Amino acid sequence: MDIRQALVIALGSIRSAKLRSALTMLGIIIGVAAVVANVSLGTSFNQYFTDELGSLGSNFIIIYSQDVNIFYDAQLEVIRNTPGVVGASAFNQQTAAVTYMSATRQIDVQGVSADAQEISNLPVASGSFLTDKDRYVAVLGKEVAEEKFGRDVPVKNYIDITFRRNDGTTVTQKFRVKGVLEGEDNTFVQGGPDRDVAIYIPIRTMNEILGVEDYSGFSAKTASAESVRPVSEEVNRRLARNLGVPARDIDNEDAKPYRIFNQADILEQLDMLSNSLTILITIIALVALLVGSIGIMNIMLVTVTERTKEIGLLKSLGYTRSDILTLFMLESIVVGVIGGILGTLLGMAGSFAVETYLDIPRVFPVYLIFLGFIISVIVGLIAGVYPASRAASLDPVEALRHE
Amino acid sequence: MVGKDLDRSVAEGNDIVIDICDLRKSYRLGDIEVPILHGIDLCVKKGEFVAIMGPSGSGKSTLMNMIGCLDRPTSGKVVLMGKDTLAISDNELAELRGFEIGFVFQSFNLIPRLSAYENVLLPTYSNSRKGHNSPQRAKDLLKLVGLDDRMDHRPTELSGGQRQRVAIARSLINEPSLILADEPTGNLDSKTSEEILGIFSELHRNGCTIVMITHDPEMEKYVDRVVHIKDGYIKNN
Ligand SMILES: Nc1ncnc2c1ncn2[C@@H]1O[C@H](COP(=O)(O)OP(=O)(O)O)[C@@H](O)[C@H]1O
Ligand SMILES: [Mg+2]
Repeated sequence: MDIRQALVIALGSIRSAKLRSALTMLGIIIGVAAVVANVSLGTSFNQYFTDELGSLGSNFIIIYSQDVNIFYDAQLEVIRNTPGVVGASAFNQQTAAVTYMSATRQIDVQGVSADAQEISNLPVASGSFLTDKDRYVAVLGKEVAEEKFGRDVPVKNYIDITFRRNDGTTVTQKFRVKGVLEGEDNTFVQGGPDRDVAIYIPIRTMNEILGVEDYSGFSAKTASAESVRPVSEEVNRRLARNLGVPARDIDNEDAKPYRIFNQADILEQLDMLSNSLTILITIIALVALLVGSIGIMNIMLVTVTERTKEIGLLKSLGYTRSDILTLFMLESIVVGVIGGILGTLLGMAGSFAVETYLDIPRVFPVYLIFLGFIISVIVGLIAGVYPASRAASLDPVEALRHE
Repeated sequence: MVGKDLDRSVAEGNDIVIDICDLRKSYRLGDIEVPILHGIDLCVKKGEFVAIMGPSGSGKSTLMNMIGCLDRPTSGKVVLMGKDTLAISDNELAELRGFEIGFVFQSFNLIPRLSAYENVLLPTYSNSRKGHNSPQRAKDLLKLVGLDDRMDHRPTELSGGQRQRVAIARSLINEPSLILADEPTGNLDSKTSEEILGIFSELHRNGCTIVMITHDPEMEKYVDRVVHIKDGYIKNN
């Protein structure tokens, strides 16, 4: 049977039963749109997580001490001297009472060195960042500078910070505001502290005031993203050896007095999270598709039953079983392809809208277009061929007697 | 011109178009076998016009469907143009239906969404004779049955008689060796019936082999032979 002629007949039959064709298509459209939109959304979320983590500071390793008096300059040197580490900085942290123009707020105060700007990605919006020569100066997070005190705290103004020392006494010190940081886009993908609500001061000044010499942690940077994981492992090994942790406990979080994180690990965890999210919504979409397919199959069964007489006529005119299957298959494929195109477009539009609304990257993998196509054609075929093959197996006289 | 094509079947060697031998058919109704045809013998020669008559329910359509390869006998032999229809494959059977048999039904059996012209052309999408210009032939045949100005009409836009003319044109499209008509005028008024029967008689004059079921005693004067069926037996041959 000539495919072009078969196509003409199939198209004619689709056109002559607009409601049926539309209903059949609707099932495919919804199913395909669901799959396409969900996979596209999943991809966008993935991209979003990756972008967010990238903005946090590139190639970073962060190490938190689990106790006081663990990390000193010696440990900082161990990290600095690990091959692959291009910058390392120590930090201390305390939530302290900060006073500006007679208003006092509890704020996260971070003691850092100058290279923290590079390692933790702390760009300034006004003024400049700390240098290692600075003593009583502070760099404010955006929210601290603009909102915390109910008024702006401009550069060159002074704030008072009241620290608590280990012996229970408090020390108040005046700091000059040297810079204000740029605001963070988003805060929930965080390795370090939330920079918007923090105040950064020189680590040496902080330790001097507190009367301590230890640090609560280190942050470090590696030469490339690829080397983060091996370098982080090497840092871990060297630090463990330096602190007298037995080699067998190297990966035992409870046996070490510190925790070490690197960007690759966090990225991987986020990846896993967003992958399971994608798998979940894809399964939901596939279920939608399955339900849609059953609907199509149902409609096709009814149609074929309705058209059994027509099938009988075609057989009596000399059409073979495979001719009739070809006709019905073509009809299903055409319905499937049109439904697939509309479904893919709808899915694209849907994911685009959601991505715009959530303000996440609009990524649309091209393979989804083919996926949508293949799904719809397969669904159309399965749904159309089974009923048609049943009808085409009837003796012509039986099919013709059908009313 | 169409008639001249149809002479082909007469010119070819084998003279016997239908050869039926001890044909039996029974239907199963639950556990009971209900015999409908009890051993039919029938032979139709090339160029013959045979009428089958008999009371309603006597098994005429059952017989006709078996000649047209639309149904399978319970036992017996149906040989068409020298081919044993029970021994050949489904695809050969379909080819036989497409090329050698033109079926005209009482209820026309046109496809409503197709135009008259497309309905006539429909069999050729599956089987078309080499060397035929089928589209031209479809137009010629519609002209032959007097519908040259109705080619693009849908069946619903045609009268009963006109629909049957379309069906006759369709049955002729592949220049079959045999035309089978099961009460082709059963749904038509007497004046239209006469016109339709006129077409068949004209086809016969041009050499067509025709087997027709009819209730019309008037037909006896057109046909070569009448076969009477009663209760599944042939009364006289
Ligand atoms: N598929 C079938 N199942 C059971 N009985 C049938 C079937 N087809 C026809 N019959 C019976 O066979 C008999 C002959 O039918 P038919 O050949 O159509 O008669 P007619 O001579 O009127 O054309 C009728 O009694 C009819 O009820
Ligand atoms: Mg009958």
